[in-house]
Amino acid sequence: MVRKDEALRSSPGLSNADRSLVLSSLEHDQLVRAKKHLIPRRHLKGPELAVLWGLRIYLVFMMAVVVYQVWTAAR
Amino acid sequence: MYTYANLLAMSVGSQPPQTIRVAGEDEVVVITHEDVDRAQDRVRVSAARAQRGFFSNARLLWLLVGPGVLVMLGENDGPSMLSYAATGAKFGIGFFIPFVALTFCMAIVVQEMTVRLGAATHRGHAELIFDRFGPFWGWFSMIDLAIGNFLTLITEFIAIRAGLGFFGVPPWMAVLIALVILYSALMSHRYWTWERITLAAAAFNLVFIPVALMTHPSWHSVGHSFITWQPLPGFNKDTLLIVLADIGATVTPWMLFFQQSATVDKGLTTKDIHFGRIDTVLGAALATAAAVATILATAPLFAHQMTADNFQAAEFAQALQPIIGRFGASLFALGMVEAGIVASITISTSSAYAFGEVTHKPHSLNLPISQGKSFYSVLTLCAVAAAGIVLIPGLPLVYVVLLVNVVAVLAMPPALVFLFMLVNDKEVMGDLVSPLWANVLAGGVVFLLTAAGVLFGISVIAPNIFAALGGR
Repeated sequence: MVRKDEALRSSPGLSNADRSLVLSSLEHDQLVRAKKHLIPRRHLKGPELAVLWGLRIYLVFMMAVVVYQVWTAAR
Repeated sequence: MYTYANLLAMSVGSQPPQTIRVAGEDEVVVITHEDVDRAQDRVRVSAARAQRGFFSNARLLWLLVGPGVLVMLGENDGPSMLSYAATGAKFGIGFFIPFVALTFCMAIVVQEMTVRLGAATHRGHAELIFDRFGPFWGWFSMIDLAIGNFLTLITEFIAIRAGLGFFGVPPWMAVLIALVILYSALMSHRYWTWERITLAAAAFNLVFIPVALMTHPSWHSVGHSFITWQPLPGFNKDTLLIVLADIGATVTPWMLFFQQSATVDKGLTTKDIHFGRIDTVLGAALATAAAVATILATAPLFAHQMTADNFQAAEFAQALQPIIGRFGASLFALGMVEAGIVASITISTSSAYAFGEVTHKPHSLNLPISQGKSFYSVLTLCAVAAAGIVLIPGLPLVYVVLLVNVVAVLAMPPALVFLFMLVNDKEVMGDLVSPLWANVLAGGVVFLLTAAGVLFGISVIAPNIFAALGGR
C-alpha cells in the first residue's frame, strides 16, 4: 500500500508544480487515467429491452418514411 | 456513484478510499498535459468560489458558463434559423411564438440532465452508453449520432454558402472562410480558449434581434400571441412539418452528447451543477430571443403574402431588403452565416468527442495535436467532408435542409431513453438521480416527440387518414 500521491507520476515535460496543481485541483476521477477503468455493465431487464427495441424499430420505420417522402418529392 | 476510487477498489479489491495499491502499470496514475490544463481552469474556479460577494459570484458564473450557452446557441443553427424564418413568413405572429419558447423549455429539461450526468460521472455520453449498456446499444446510438451530425453539418455549410452568397462571395471561398474560423478556434489547444472564442462567435446569433426591431413588429400582437397562443394555424401537413422542424430546431441528439462531453472537458464537478443549470437556462433564454426575433423579422413577408416556400438564407435576406433596407438584410444574411459557423464548430466537436469516448482514444480540446491526433482528425474529417459535399454541383441538397430537423426529432426518443435510464441509475448517479418531477417532465418530452413523429409518419404514408383527422 502506498499513499495516493505516491502512486502518481507525470508525463514527460511536466514538473512537480504541475503535479501538485493537479492533485490539489482535480477530483481523482477527473484524471485522464481514471477513465481507463470502465463503468460496470448494467443488466437490462425485460421491460427496458422492450422499450429500447420498440424505439429502435420506430426509428428505422420512420427513417424509411423520410426516405419515401424524399423519393416522392424528387419524382 | 462510480467514482475513480470506487472503480479502482472494485478492480483490485476492497481498500480504504484514501489509498491506492500500486499492483502494476495499470494502477499507476499518470498525470497528463490535459490534466494540468484542466487543473489550471479549476484553480480559478476554486479561487472565485472561496470569496463572497456579488462580484465573486459574477466571476464564478463567468468562469462556469459555456457548455449550456454554446449548445443552445449552437442549436440555433442554419436549418433552425431557416425553420424560424419560414415559420414567420408562413404564419406571421401567432401560435408559433409561444410554441418556440415552449420547445426551449423542453430543451432545458433535457440538457439539465446531461449537466448532472457529466458532473457526477466525469464521463461523456457516448462512453457511458457503451460502458453501461454494452457495445450493441452503444453502436446503435453512435450510428444515429453520426448520421444526424453529418446531415446537419452539410446543412450548416449550405447556410454559410447561401448567407455569404448574399454578399457575392463564391461558394468555395465561403466554405474556406468557415473552415478557417473553425480551425482558428481549435489552434489554441485549450478548452477554455476554444470555448471563449466560440462563445464570442455565438453571441452574434443575437443579430436577429436588431433585424426584428427594424421591421417594427406589433408588440401588442406579440404579447397577445404569448398569452393566448393565437391565431392558431390550420391543422394540415405543412403546419405539421413546421411544428416538427421547430421542435427539431431546439432538441436534437448531438446536443446531449456535446453538452455532457463539454461539461466533462471543462472539468465541472457536482459543486458546479447549480451554475451548469444557470448556464443552460441562460443559453435557452438567449436562443429563444434569437429564434423569436427571426420569426418576427420574417413576419412582414406573411403580412405581404409573399410565398417563401423553399427559401434559403439569401432569398430571405433579399425578400426582406425592401422592408428593412440593405443594412438590415445584410445583418440577416450574416446571422445565417454565424449560425452555420458556430454549429459547424459544435457539431463536429460533438462527433469527435463521441468517437474518442467509444474508442478510448484521447478526446479533449486541451490536447496538443501530437496527443490528440485521432480527436482532431475526426473533427477535421467531419467538417471537411460536409464542406466538400456542399461544393459538389447538382446535388439535391434542398431535401437535406428541409428534413434534417425532422430527422432530429425522430432520432430524439431513442436517445432520450438512454439519457433517462442513465440519470435514474443510482449506481451511476448516487444521490443525484432525477427527482420525480424531472422524470415526469422528461417523460412528457419523450411522449410529445414520439407523438409528433407518429403524426408525421401518418401524414406521409396515409394522407387520407391524416385528412380525416382534421388535416388537409
